[in-house]
Amino acid sequence: MRRGDACSDFWKEYLAGQNRNVLLILGLGFDPRMCVGLRMLSEAEVSCVKECLLIKYNEGANSPSREYGHLVRNNQNTMFSLMNGKGIIREIDVPMLSNDGRRIGSRRASDAIGGDIIKRFDNIVVDISSMPRGIYFPILAKLLSLFDAQAADGTSAPSANLHVLVAEQVSVDEKIQEEGIDDHADYMHGFSSDLVRESTASVPKIWIPVLGEGKEAQLRILHDHVVPHEICPVLPSPSVNPRRADDLVAEYRELLFDRLRVEPANFIYASEWNPFEVYRQIYRTVERYNDALEALGKCKVVVSALSSKLLSVGALLAAYEAKRNNFMVGISHVETPGYRIQGQIDSCNPEMCSLWVAGECYNA
Amino acid sequence: MREPRNPFRLRASEHIESDETFVRLFSPEVLDMLSTPNIWERPQIIRSAPGGGKTSLLRLFTPSSLRTIYALRTREYTKDLFKSLSALGAMDDSGPCVLGAFLSCGHSFATLEDLDLDDGRKRRLFLSLLNARITLSTLRGVLDLRQKDFSELAAVSLAKGSSTTKLPDGILDATGPSLYEWAQDLERTVCEALDSFLPLSESSLPGHDSLVALSMLSADGLLFEGSSVAQRVLVMLDDIHRLTPKQREWLLDAIFSLRSSVGIWVAERLEALTVDELLSQGVSQGRDYGGVVPIEDYWRGRVSKFEKMISSVADRRTRDTREVEIGRFADCLQDTLDGDEWQSVYQRGISIVTDRVKQRATGHSEFTAWISEREKGSGTPRERLLAWRTLEILVERELRKTPDFFELDTADLEQKDASDVRVAAELFIAREFGLPYYYGLSRLACMASSNIEQFLWMSGDIFEECVSAALLKRATQLAPPDQERILRKSIKAVWKELPQRVRYGTQVMRLLESIGKLAKWETEKPNAPYAPGVSGVAILMSDRDKLKNALQRPSNDGLALLAEVIASCIAHNLLEVKLDYKCKGQYWMVMYLNRMLCVHFNLPLQYGGWREKRLLDLLDWLAKGFVPPSGRSGFVP
Repeated sequence: MRRGDACSDFWKEYLAGQNRNVLLILGLGFDPRMCVGLRMLSEAEVSCVKECLLIKYNEGANSPSREYGHLVRNNQNTMFSLMNGKGIIREIDVPMLSNDGRRIGSRRASDAIGGDIIKRFDNIVVDISSMPRGIYFPILAKLLSLFDAQAADGTSAPSANLHVLVAEQVSVDEKIQEEGIDDHADYMHGFSSDLVRESTASVPKIWIPVLGEGKEAQLRILHDHVVPHEICPVLPSPSVNPRRADDLVAEYRELLFDRLRVEPANFIYASEWNPFEVYRQIYRTVERYNDALEALGKCKVVVSALSSKLLSVGALLAAYEAKRNNFMVGISHVETPGYRIQGQIDSCNPEMCSLWVAGECYNA
Repeated sequence: MREPRNPFRLRASEHIESDETFVRLFSPEVLDMLSTPNIWERPQIIRSAPGGGKTSLLRLFTPSSLRTIYALRTREYTKDLFKSLSALGAMDDSGPCVLGAFLSCGHSFATLEDLDLDDGRKRRLFLSLLNARITLSTLRGVLDLRQKDFSELAAVSLAKGSSTTKLPDGILDATGPSLYEWAQDLERTVCEALDSFLPLSESSLPGHDSLVALSMLSADGLLFEGSSVAQRVLVMLDDIHRLTPKQREWLLDAIFSLRSSVGIWVAERLEALTVDELLSQGVSQGRDYGGVVPIEDYWRGRVSKFEKMISSVADRRTRDTREVEIGRFADCLQDTLDGDEWQSVYQRGISIVTDRVKQRATGHSEFTAWISEREKGSGTPRERLLAWRTLEILVERELRKTPDFFELDTADLEQKDASDVRVAAELFIAREFGLPYYYGLSRLACMASSNIEQFLWMSGDIFEECVSAALLKRATQLAPPDQERILRKSIKAVWKELPQRVRYGTQVMRLLESIGKLAKWETEKPNAPYAPGVSGVAILMSDRDKLKNALQRPSNDGLALLAEVIASCIAHNLLEVKLDYKCKGQYWMVMYLNRMLCVHFNLPLQYGGWREKRLLDLLDWLAKGFVPPSGRSGFVP
């Protein structure tokens, strides 16, 4: 993982003179950070991005996000100008809602990723800066499964690499707020099979929510969905604000202790800067619970990401890895109809983070 | 998990892990709503808004709950429950008579709709997944009822020669392990196909044409160690509203066309109904092929029964707290305003209101007898203030009439001094002199609007303060102002969350706010013309039909959106509806605000007062909100 200047340095070094064949997957939205990753890649190597797969997710006619059509168009123009003459742009529509109002975004996002993608490009970069969790989780999971399928095929080692880019700026995150949430949660496509089966109904269920601020309503809905036997909340520690974990506990005191009856010893701590730390902590928890509950038929683990995009990627990687290793793992998620900008975004100077999640560096 | 500090916080039954805790908290009065003929023979549809208590009701009939009740049948807190269940035929002196298989339809069924298959194939896949899950749940229920673990599955079998002999393809023989293996494989195949990132292989997917599991698993066919498991088998399907509309139709058709001997109860939220059904009698009557148990409607028609039931629910939770000892929940709620601390307020009030009445009556000799009667002044200061404020309303009413120059005597006063005017007067006094109005168990029960969960969260916040007081060694009984403060805070939080919580949330909020503001404006008129106050609006039934038609033929007049918004309010119990209400020679659809919203808008809790509105008015409210007509004078002080 690289962040800030080290991130742009990495890409300069990685792309310089290598003639890399890069596919960039971008979400088309109003977030001002949408094109920051593309700009960084273009500055590192002018024509490295051979194709840009633009995910045009549609949050529905009543979404508050529709107010920001002008910002979406600005972002799209910026993207066109950065890509102009250097690579092709392929647009894919991803409806978030079916005609009868059900959430179908996660399945449709996964379908948007064709099976041949890792044969056509040697580097796939998913910039999740302007994608909602319900879109980037299934996209990353689908890509990881394609990498695994190729490796399992045995005919050739995967030659492609998978990177995740995130443009992080807390002040912008604070301004872009979810408006409204669905009244029920669901398991993310690709992460439900083991959890929903009646034949596993008596297997104990552990819930690992990665906590972030202002998500009490989501936590309640997720808890109603999961109905866990045990809860292990993940708190960000260490963090820039040393009291952040305490503040989160104080914020959710009534919910965690009075309603959900969480054991204080169950809290898991992971660095707020490092998604791989979240990955390790969650994965270890999955392993330990399964060891401890082996006599009861092991356990089912449900992960819910309610924190930053970076930490959410860590949670996804842990769930994916655990599922690959035949643990019963699911991701429970509650969607939002859309987002609204609170006030005005005065400046956009995000810090870029890059995670190399599959490929050459792991093959050795 | 830790024991709960505040048992009121344990709302949904799914979150109460221990069966003993669950049955201890369950109030037997709830079972009265099942006291209809043929509940075991005819399919039953249990329907309510979120938090109505559907899942708790179903959970009570699962083997582990019934066994627990039977085991504890002599205990104080389960004695009545045992008696009620015995009266229903769910158990007798030898133990549970029902094998209840519980299944939530919340998971994965709706996802089937997203597969690239034709409707016929989707229906077969849907029914096969249901068959698998009903079979798994029933087999688990058998073991649970007999208190056996999974290793004894081999003792389960299907009777030879019964109606169950025709087994679906893939089942090796009529034994428990074969049935389980078949159902498990079937379910796994469907779930893995649904969850896979790879393209769907259609040929590998199973399919059934009917709910064959209901034929297989009848009471006379299901055996454990060669003998019948229970007198009745009951399949309980929860969360039907999470199915797609098409799947719900397939399910209900499959159930009703099968005419199985297995009892079937399905539970769903009102939101499962179409907007058309929500705006129709369908809410209360349902389709003619089965019984419908509309939970909120049931309680609305039985107010005192509801109060008794929630009082019992509250007492059970109060006794269950580990931290403090409080006998009854009612003991936490001081329900009078006769304490010394209020006497000076009443004296001041009497002086102010008396002066005002006399001033208003100046030059109107017809009120002399009424004023003299009040000046005799019997009763407590509170009663006297109430009497004077009632008189003020009555004087105001008389002054607005065409003068008839007859003197009004005390008999007139007695006749006009009705309870509804006194309720309005109490509300006016509370507002003018800063007295609490929303307090006491009886009013708390009203505020619940026939919804148990609504009652629990409001009571939970009150009980929290009582527990804290007990821990600090202070009196646990909350004074009325504290009760009102807590309730207002809780309700405000719910109100603020509304746009996020319900479909068309922003529009729902705007409509409710408009109704609330109109009701307040009407209620506060000095002559209290709709005493005790207005708390709803009504549209003509013919306008209701226009709303329904708008859904069939959407146009740009906004009626379709209005229909959707009203339906969303009904589905979430935010508006309580009365259809075909006859008034002024016309039929009306009356929509009352949920009673907690009456607190938010400072309205009385009683039903009764409503104002007729045109669809254009409501459309206007959706766009701009309610604007009070200008030029009115003489508001309540």
